[in-house]
Amino acid sequence: MAGRSNALVPPLSQRKWAFLMCVAGCMVPPAADLDAEGRSRFIAIVGKALGDRPRSIQRQFVLFLGLLRWLTLVRFGAPFDRLSRANQDAMLRWLLDAPLAKLRGGFWGLRALVFMGYYGQPEVWPSLRYRPSFNGNRLLHG
Amino acid sequence: MVERSYDVVIVGSGAGGGTVAKELAHLCREGMRIAVLEWGPKLKDEEFTGREAEMAERLYFDKGGFLTRDRAMTLAFARAYGGSTVVYTGTSLLLPEEVLSRWGVPELEHADLRRRSEKYLTENNVHLLEKEKINDNNRHFLEACRTLGYRVAQFPVNVKGCQGSGLCNLGCPNAAKQGTNRVQLPVAEAAGVEVITNCRVERIGDRECLATVVNPPFGERSRWREGRYRIRARAIVVAAGAVNSPALLLRSRLPVRLPALGRYFTTHPALILVGEHDRPITNFYGHPKSYYCDHFVESANFLLETCMYFPFTTAKNLIGFGAEHADLMSRMNRMQMILVLAVDPALPENRVTVDSAGEPVVHYRFTDEVMDALVESQRVAARIFFAAGCRRVHAPAGTRFFLDADEANRLEELITREAFKLGKVSISSAHLMGGCRMGTDPATSVTDAWGQVHGVPWLFVADASLFPMCSEINPYVTIMALADRVAEGVRARLPELPAA
Repeated sequence: MAGRSNALVPPLSQRKWAFLMCVAGCMVPPAADLDAEGRSRFIAIVGKALGDRPRSIQRQFVLFLGLLRWLTLVRFGAPFDRLSRANQDAMLRWLLDAPLAKLRGGFWGLRALVFMGYYGQPEVWPSLRYRPSFNGNRLLHG
Repeated sequence: MVERSYDVVIVGSGAGGGTVAKELAHLCREGMRIAVLEWGPKLKDEEFTGREAEMAERLYFDKGGFLTRDRAMTLAFARAYGGSTVVYTGTSLLLPEEVLSRWGVPELEHADLRRRSEKYLTENNVHLLEKEKINDNNRHFLEACRTLGYRVAQFPVNVKGCQGSGLCNLGCPNAAKQGTNRVQLPVAEAAGVEVITNCRVERIGDRECLATVVNPPFGERSRWREGRYRIRARAIVVAAGAVNSPALLLRSRLPVRLPALGRYFTTHPALILVGEHDRPITNFYGHPKSYYCDHFVESANFLLETCMYFPFTTAKNLIGFGAEHADLMSRMNRMQMILVLAVDPALPENRVTVDSAGEPVVHYRFTDEVMDALVESQRVAARIFFAAGCRRVHAPAGTRFFLDADEANRLEELITREAFKLGKVSISSAHLMGGCRMGTDPATSVTDAWGQVHGVPWLFVADASLFPMCSEINPYVTIMALADRVAEGVRARLPELPAA
């Protein structure tokens, strides 16, 4: 697996994790209410996913996080994490529909990681009314 | 480096490799040695937990998120004892005769392919699920298609003792799905075929494979010790899937030039669409995929299938984020889901290459026809959702996150090509085909109609990479039928091949 990192430690600094949690709270509002264990699970899932990606992808991800943080200076005069929720939302929606495919792609990757970190936690499934069973057929007819 | 020697080495253990292994297994009784080299692990039964992130890591390349070069599409393909047959839904369709005609491979006759396919339908216990095992998600699709006058049919599936976990794509936790991990590989091993898991083949040389065994922290340990191996063989059959087979051959030093290698890659690009009912329905209980609608294949190049996915996959495939996204996600028990798949053309520029580290890179360009098919398929799916009683629908090309039932007559203006931007929409594929296509001309194909690589009598391919064009249906039965032919070709050729 040449070119791949097997890092077990999440490849982000504490500050960047805090920023990512801020973004996560915008993308998945219930993520803002995660308790300490939920946040730890989020970090573990995203950290593992990132750690398994090639270093070039990790670097691009960190770069994109930085871009998101500071791009808002131009439009709103403050970094992303100091904006109101409405302005944060506006910034993310601009990226979702960005004119450049690369920007849309970067945002898609960020969004996928956030969703993985939150919806990948079996602990949140009951709140989604998702309760899988190995014996689903027994539950089909009430 | 440890050296090993076999008569036949098969790279990969999925629908192709598992079939070849079983079909050649009787040769072990004549003293021949056969090995299957599988990159992935053999999971223990208790390791099929149904937990999405965990199973994605254990079973899929890049956790199921392998991206095309431009990151516009994710490709899902597995590595495991049983390959992608561990993670498919077991839908078992025969290749339509008209599709085979379009493939245009002389010597590949429909009657022959049908006979071989039917053998695997029997072997894999393919049948129609009983009516009482059909959940609401599937039933609503069936009834809505009938209401709208769309052609709809039930999928035959290859299960035995299905408990309706709905977790097929994460590996059946009840060992019910009859993939090669449950049927062909155990038969092959009982006859003497050695299956070496956790063994990645890096390249192929002159009648040899160079491979490395590394055990991941899950699954059974490989029967070989960790380390590097040189494995010699009289014949080598590559069945590593439509991404890894061409990539492996591209990394290898072959004695011939193969200009078509890696090219003509097709994927049935797919979208997951969601409708929301105003009350809970049964959707994640029961087999997830019972019906399909091929009404629009000829006229508009897409087909629709029922499906039901897991929280992360579902969230990722909805467009957008924020409160409305979370709101929809909080009612998964009301979701009806449809998978739409586009019939995509086989183009030389859609191809697999390898990067400087030897890793596969998939180049894929969406044609206007495919984009149009994906947009139109969303309108049709929306009609089905509304006919099924959904109160609102989410479509990736929708001009808004939700389209309400009272807007059902405005779908042309509410689901538009302009709103459907690559990189914004989650397009995925699990039907990976081509890259080592069959044919007669070495300029435009890689193997002959028996899977033998042009000009290399000891090298064969036996997986979906053989498809000259897409199959227009779920492909695994066709892969097995082709692999059955390849096995026959290997058997016929072996006496002529010198010892390794």
